[in-house]
Formats: sequence, C-alpha cells, structure tokens
Amino acid sequence: MKKTFSIGGVHPADKKISAGCSIEVLPTPQTVYISMSQHLGAPATPTVAVGDKVKAGQVIGEPAGFISAYVHSSVSGTVKSIGPRPDLAGNKVTHVEIAVEGDEWADGIDLSETLVTEIPADNRFIIDRIKSNGVVGLGGATFPTHVKLTPPEGKKAEILILNGAECEPYLTSDYRIMLEKPDQIVIGAAIMKQVLGGPRTVIGIEDNKPEAIESVRAAISRLQAKSASYSGIEVAVLKKKYPQGGEKQLIDAVAHRQVKSMGLPIDVGAVVQNVATSLAVYDAVMKNRPLTTNTLTVTGDCLPADRQKNYLFRIGVPFSFIIEQSGGMPEDAVKVISGGPMMGKAISNLDATTVKGSSSILYLTAEQTVRKPESNCIRCGKCVEACPMGLEPYLLNKLARNGMMDELEQNAIQDCIECGCCLYSCPANIPLLDVIRVAKGDVMRAIRARSAKK
Amino acid sequence: MTTTIIWTIAILSLLGVVLAVVLYLVAKKFRVEEDSRIDEVEKVLPGANCGGCGNAGCRAFAKACVDAMNLDSNFCPVGGNDTMKKVAAVLGLEVKEKAPMVAVVRCNGTCENRPRTNDYGGYSSCRVKAALYSGDTGCSFGCLGCGDCVAACQFGAIKMNPQTGLPEVDQEKCTACGACVKACPKNIIELRNKGPRGMRVFVSCVNKDKGAVARKACSAACIGCGKCAKVCPHGAITVENNLAYIDFTKCKLCRKCVAECPTGAIHTVNFPVVKPKPEPAPAAKETVVKEKPETKEE
Amino acid sequence: MNRLLVSPAPHLHTKTSTMSLMRDVVIALLPTVIVSILFYGWREIMILAVSVISCVLLEYLITRFLLKRPNTTGDWSAAVTGVLLALNLPATSPWWMVLIGAIVAIGVAKMTFGGLGQNLFNPALVGRVFLLISFPVAMTDWGPVQGFIGGADAATGATPLGLAKEGGIEAIRNLDYLNMLYMNIGGSAGELSAIAIIIGFIYLLARKVIRPHITLSIWITVFVFSGIMWLADPSAYTDPIFNLLTGGILLGSVFMATDYVTSPMSAKGGIIFGVGIGLITMLIRYFGSYPEGVSFAILIMNSTVPLINKFCKSKKYGR
Repeated sequence: MKKTFSIGGVHPADKKISAGCSIEVLPTPQTVYISMSQHLGAPATPTVAVGDKVKAGQVIGEPAGFISAYVHSSVSGTVKSIGPRPDLAGNKVTHVEIAVEGDEWADGIDLSETLVTEIPADNRFIIDRIKSNGVVGLGGATFPTHVKLTPPEGKKAEILILNGAECEPYLTSDYRIMLEKPDQIVIGAAIMKQVLGGPRTVIGIEDNKPEAIESVRAAISRLQAKSASYSGIEVAVLKKKYPQGGEKQLIDAVAHRQVKSMGLPIDVGAVVQNVATSLAVYDAVMKNRPLTTNTLTVTGDCLPADRQKNYLFRIGVPFSFIIEQSGGMPEDAVKVISGGPMMGKAISNLDATTVKGSSSILYLTAEQTVRKPESNCIRCGKCVEACPMGLEPYLLNKLARNGMMDELEQNAIQDCIECGCCLYSCPANIPLLDVIRVAKGDVMRAIRARSAKK
Repeated sequence: MTTTIIWTIAILSLLGVVLAVVLYLVAKKFRVEEDSRIDEVEKVLPGANCGGCGNAGCRAFAKACVDAMNLDSNFCPVGGNDTMKKVAAVLGLEVKEKAPMVAVVRCNGTCENRPRTNDYGGYSSCRVKAALYSGDTGCSFGCLGCGDCVAACQFGAIKMNPQTGLPEVDQEKCTACGACVKACPKNIIELRNKGPRGMRVFVSCVNKDKGAVARKACSAACIGCGKCAKVCPHGAITVENNLAYIDFTKCKLCRKCVAECPTGAIHTVNFPVVKPKPEPAPAAKETVVKEKPETKEE
Repeated sequence: MNRLLVSPAPHLHTKTSTMSLMRDVVIALLPTVIVSILFYGWREIMILAVSVISCVLLEYLITRFLLKRPNTTGDWSAAVTGVLLALNLPATSPWWMVLIGAIVAIGVAKMTFGGLGQNLFNPALVGRVFLLISFPVAMTDWGPVQGFIGGADAATGATPLGLAKEGGIEAIRNLDYLNMLYMNIGGSAGELSAIAIIIGFIYLLARKVIRPHITLSIWITVFVFSGIMWLADPSAYTDPIFNLLTGGILLGSVFMATDYVTSPMSAKGGIIFGVGIGLITMLIRYFGSYPEGVSFAILIMNSTVPLINKFCKSKKYGR
C-alpha cells in the first residue's frame, strides 16, 4: 500500500521532461552577484570590503541573528561592489559583486569525489560544520539547517523524514541527485539521524520516480553492508499527489501524524529535510565544503528536448547567464519561473542572481499560464476538495474580500500552506490564493501582535 | 365552523399577549445603560461609519468623545470643523479649528514617464501585487495602479485615470478620512493641507532610490538633488534618503522650488494658470500644472 | 525581448472550467434526452427546444439589458437549466407553459439572485414547481403522445405513483420492475428510463463532475425508509424497489440534488442533505396529498444548505 497524505491534494500532469538529462557543470561567468539574503531569517552581514580578494568557499557574509546563515563566495576573484541590487522580484537586497579570477578554493576544503562514509562521532562538531558551511533547507523555505537539527529542550525527534517526493511538476533536480549521488544523500541522512539521536529515518519518494527509488535503495543496502551506522534508514514509496512534499503533508503521509495548527513538526517528533539538503550536509560535514553550488533544472514544454538541462551551478550566477548558456529563452515563453509551477516565483528581473534555494528555471507559454477572467463562484467545492489542509478557500476568499479578520481566523486561514491547490482547481478562475495569501499575512500579524502583548 | 374561527382568534390573541409580556420582561432585564449624550452626539455626526477618525464607526466616535469629555484627540475628518462645533455644542466643550485636509497622490509615474518593464497577470489588487514583487515598472516605490484606494474610498472621491494609470482625487468629494492612505501598500497617498483656495505644492514622488536609479525608472522621479531645499526661503523642504519632502505647515506657496526642480517632480495644484492675478482659483477640478523637465541635474 | 509576465503562484491551472463542467452535465443528460425523444417524439423535441432556447435567450437578454453585465450564457449553465426543466415536464405540456417555466427558472430563481452561483434554489425545479402549482391539471396530464417507437398508448395513463396514491397498493400489483428499469411508463419526460439516468450518473462520476455522496445517500434513505415501512405493513405501503425506480427520485438525485450551487460543499454536508431529501420525499409520497415529492424535497433541503455549510465543515489538518 503506497502512502500519501490524507486530506485534499491535486494531480497536475507531472511533466518531468528533463528527467533523462544528467547533471552538467555550468561554466562560471565573469561576474557573480552573491545575495546576503539567501535564507529564511535575517540577511547576513557582509564581511568583505570592496577590492578584497576572495577565494571560492570563503565566508563573505556572517549570520545576523539566531535564524540566519553564513554566506560563502562561490568563486575566486575580487570584490567589485557591495550594495543593493534587485532580486528576482525586483526588491532591493544587499549583494556582493565578485569579478571572477581563476578558480582557487579556500584551504581545508576537500574537493575530491572520494566517498567518505565514516561519520564523525562528535555531534557538536557536525552541527558546527553544518552551520559554518552555511547549509540551509533546499526544499523551498531555505530555513537554516543547523537550527532545525537542534530541537528545543524537551522535544525529541522520533522520525527523520527525507523529502525526495519532488511533487512539483517539471522539476527534476532532486531526481537527478538521487540517481547520481544516492550514497552521499544516504550518508547525509545518517549524519542528521545521528545528530538527532538516532530516530527512524525514512526517505519519501513518489512512485513516478521508480529509478530514484531503486537507486536510493541500492545505496542504502551498499552502505548498510559497510557499517552499522546506516541501519534504520528506509525508503517509503509515496503515491504521486501534489503537495506531497509539503512538510505537513509528508509527515502525515509517512508517519500518520498531523502537526497541530501553528505548531512545528518537532511537536509531533518529526524533522523533515530535503534530499538536496542531505547532500549539502554530506558535503559540509564530510568534505568541509560550504554550500556554494546547487542543482538546477532548465525546462519547459516550449523548450526543445536537447536544451532541457540539469545544471550544477555556482550560487550567485545570474539567471540571464544560465538562460544564455542553455541557448536562450524560447520564443513562445511568456513567463519564467524560479521553482516549480505550483509554488515557484515568477521572475520579473532576469538579471537577478541564483540563490542557495534556486532549483529551476521553468518556461511557461501564454496558453499554459495566462489567467482566464474570473467568473462567479459556482460553489462546486472543488477548492474544498483540493485543499490539503482541509480549509474552505471559497469561504476564506469571501471573508478576506470583506476584511472579516475574526472570521478568517476562526476558519483557520493561518493554517494555509500556500500550495496553490485551490487556485489550480477553481473552474471559475477565482484568484483564491492571491486573496488568501495576503489576508493570511494580516491574520498572522494580528495573532503575533496579540501573543506579543500577553 | 364558527367555533373554530373563534378559538383560532382567541388562541392567537392570547399568544400575542403572552409573547408581548415576555418580550417586555426580557428587554427590561437585558437593558444596557448608556449615556444619552452618546445618542445626541451620534445624531450630529455624518453617519458614514468610515472609520476615518480611528474609531470603529460614528457611534464609537461619539462614545469616545463622551468618555474623554475632551475633543483635542477626537476629530471627525468627514464632518470637519462644522460637525465638531456641533459636537462641542452638545457636550458643552471647546473645540479647536483644524485646517481642512485632502488626500494627495504622490506619484507621477504615468505610462510615458515610467515605462513598464514586465506585465502583471495576477489578481488586480495593489496589496496582492505589492506582496508579490516590486511592481511592473522599474520603480519599486511608485503607484501600482490596481486601484485599492479607489475601492477603499466610500465617497467616490478617487478615480483611476485610464490615460495615466494613476488615481486622481476629486478634492470636492474628498473628506480626508484617510481610508485610501491606509489602503495604499506603497504609502503614496498622504493627507495634506488643502491650502488657501485649494492651492498647494507637493513633491509628487516617493522614490528613495539614488538619483540615477530613480531617473532611469521614471523620468518624473525626485532624484534627491536638493536644489529645492536650497532655494526654499522658508526651510519647508527636507531631503532624506534621496527624496525631497515639503512640510505643508511651513510652505508659503512661493513656488520657487517648482521652477528649480530638474525633473518636474514638484507639483502645484489650483494656482491660477495665467500669471498671478488676484482672481479666484478654478477650484472645481484639480489642475496639475506640470513644469517642463529642464536640463539634467548639475 | 518581450516583457515577462509576472503573477503569484500557482502558475498552472486545471483544464476544468465552469463551462466544461456544465457541458459534462449536458452530455450526461443525453441518454435521458434520447430516450424521452424516442418515446414522446416531436412533442418532446419541441419542449426541449423551447425550454433550452428560452432559458439561454432569457439569460442573455437579462444580463445584456437589465443588469448590463457581461454575457454569461457561454458557461452553459442556462442550457443545463433548460434541459432539466424540459425533462421535468410532461410531454403533453403546451409551448407557452414551457416558456413560463423558463421565465420563472431563469428570471426569478436565477438572475434575481445575481446569476450563476448566487441562487438559493435549483432554477429548473423552481420553474417546475411553479408550473405544478399554477397548472396542476396540465402538469399531471400524461395523455397519449405519439413517439418514434411503440404505439401511442405505450406511454400513457397515470404514473405508477399516482396509481398507488389513488388506488392503493392493489393498483400497482401488476407492475414489472425490469420493465421499469428501461421504460418507466408515465411521468415526466425525463423519468422514463432508469438505465439512461444511471449511465449519466456513471459518466458524471467518471469525469469527477460530482461526488457520489448526495445521490447515494438519497437512494439509501429512500430504500431503507420505505423498506422499514413496507416490512411493517406491506399492504399499506409500497415496496422499496418500486419507490427507487418510480417518479423523479433518480432524475432528481442525479441531476438536481447534485447541482453545485444549491448543494452543500462538504461530503458530510452532502450526506445530511441527501438523507433529508430522501426522508422528505418518502414522507410526501406516503402521507402527503401529492403522489410525488422529490421536487419539493430538494427545494426544502436547498433552503437548509447555508446552514449545513456553516455546521458541516470539512476535516481540517491537525485540528
């Protein structure tokens, strides 16, 4: 019996067009722009000055708060400028501009491909490595990993779930790393398992990726044959359904537990990490390699088959450079998305740079993505059926448009995970999530203000 | 047959009497004692329930006035001084006159001045758009043009101008309730002094980018050059974060800054179009006298 | 380069639209329509044509000239109302009665509430019930009509339910249930064939247009309630299979009770709604003065939908 989450969900066509393209190394451009705001939480503070020579892997930004992360240079070269630059949404964020010179790495970084399977015994050392190498969650939220791996006092992790669901259509970067670097992912999982005190570890993969399931399973048995520290890691095959990779949905699917409203996964003893994060943890702990590269898919229906790509890119490379390298933007693409088509962000500024969490460049045509005019709600309940949190989007939409804050809170708008199922499924083309997302922000602010007062 | 009719009438009448008594008792029991002056104050208020005063509605405002027994911090922007005088009369209080205010849209990013750099395809709401990204032009401060202010205005005083893509305030209808100020996610709209005969001078831009960046995004942007501040004889203009601001309490409407501004970001309203003559200004409609952009800065 | 399009996520949209959903309902109604045309011939074609054309035209005229709003007839909902109204009338109905039904359905029950999605009651049923109350004789005149198959008397006489009401249980002793499955003699045009309606039901389920909760709960309620009554006194009450197959239960439960706008949102609400319809129908059939009560039952339960929606919330995650 394949597992899946219990409430709602939709089934968009998975369109994994670029699944067969192995990961290529993207060339380095002449200039990279490294954002200081690549993670959830406070932006990092730049630690370099204009004119400084930096090496690849060198720290150029340090955390400015508890929830924050180190930022490293992904290239070697000279710092040209430090200042505000528009990100992909046009908002000004501090970037460090580096003119690339050669490819020299900082000391102490193991660049070899040899697999290291001996997990260090000292958990503090591991956490330190993860923190100092700037590892953040690569599943979308870019939450600093070291914070997630140190549960608060009194909370114990009972299950570690690795998210290999990749439930967003089109994206194939996680799939490719599961095929090409399964051992590293499993070792990364074992490292996190050890840090968390050895909970049951499950790697959840959707059934539309049988090769990935095989590959990871083979890696697990390979490693289990080698050392006892890899026992208790298993693969869970999940039914294909969006948003399977949502943290709360994955916990429901794998562990049959539901996180309480406004609660954290650790409240039900669960920690969820993406497979790409696991790979970054392996690199950080075993190789002392900072998070300076990531895998990114270039795809879209309008892109010819030979230009579908999975790239290993240096963080800080502008999107426009990647587009150029992969043969330019297709003629009939009207929208370029960073991330998946369900939760990704539409890029308004192609000169913006990639960040740690960038996972794709997706081209969509007008026919696929242009919104049709809104018509009357026919109360079909498709949104209620689709909502994985069991909310009533039609009602929230109505309440939000009338500014009824108390009723919105009673109807649990704060539980919305912004997965987009409601808007996706609405036959009347009502911009449900657009309205709900903003109202949710208002309600969250009101709740926070209230609890701060107490 | 007749007995049925009689019985029906009798039972219904009895029922009516019993229920009336119950209603009377319940009303008596749950009666809320309220200051009768609240009713009196509420009567003289406009009754728009717009919330412009900061209270939940006109009754809440009336209650606030009665509770405080002081009108210094309570002002009804819709009714203005006349209403406040009436309120003061009801409560036997003194009231200070306030200068009439009007909502001012501080953005001149018309389609020509500020070319579009991308197309927005989501729900047409400034708040949704602002939460998503910086907007469909190069200027991340300016008007988003989805008309949240128009929707917020209860008095029909703001309309979108389809030519410019910017909202326009009808100063005759505007009550300065401030609903549009709250609705605008970019904080473009400000309540400013209406000015003598509606004459006022203001910087029609809120862009805090460096001059070159602002200018690139919008040809009518304030570039923070500071020429206006230098030329102002009354010290009414301050330049902060690359943006000039005219303090309307200090401005004497001399319009020296207007001539100085290289981008035409400073707007004048309701000044006689021809050379200054003591002739009543055409107050019916806002006439924006835009200065021609002169030579570049420096 | 062209300007990029920017909008909030999600960037994809399902292919299902209001129009495609309504079109599926029309497709699901086709078997029933075909059967009724075969049995009632040209008269039925006339009724269908008058009903559909007047419903669509009325909606167009009202949006265009009265409300001055964009034309909404493209969403096919008026067409659905038209077909349903026609199938709910006897084949003997004169054209002007159909027209009045359409005016009430679209003009009163739908557009006065604000058009599609705003109406409280199912428009086609309001039209039908209005006609039933205004023209009780014409609405229960199941007189002979020449169809394309069978003789004029193939579809004639009183409905089985009418017989049961008038003559008691003895009057329906000789009915053949197998026969009723595909040609249910007498009744409204759409009530002829149970098989045709069930084919439509399966199509709707397969296309995920409707969920089965409402329909099945009506069937089960009718079956169980009449079963209990029948077991208690088989000489006074009709049996459950007879009650399921006769009258408008099938047509009503598949096409009218499941109308999106006037049915509850959640599955739980749908079950309550269905049980209510089943019970009220059977109460009217057994104890009321009308032989059939599906239309009334659905309309009565329509009025409870806002209440059901308020109290039957879907199961929320983590609560």
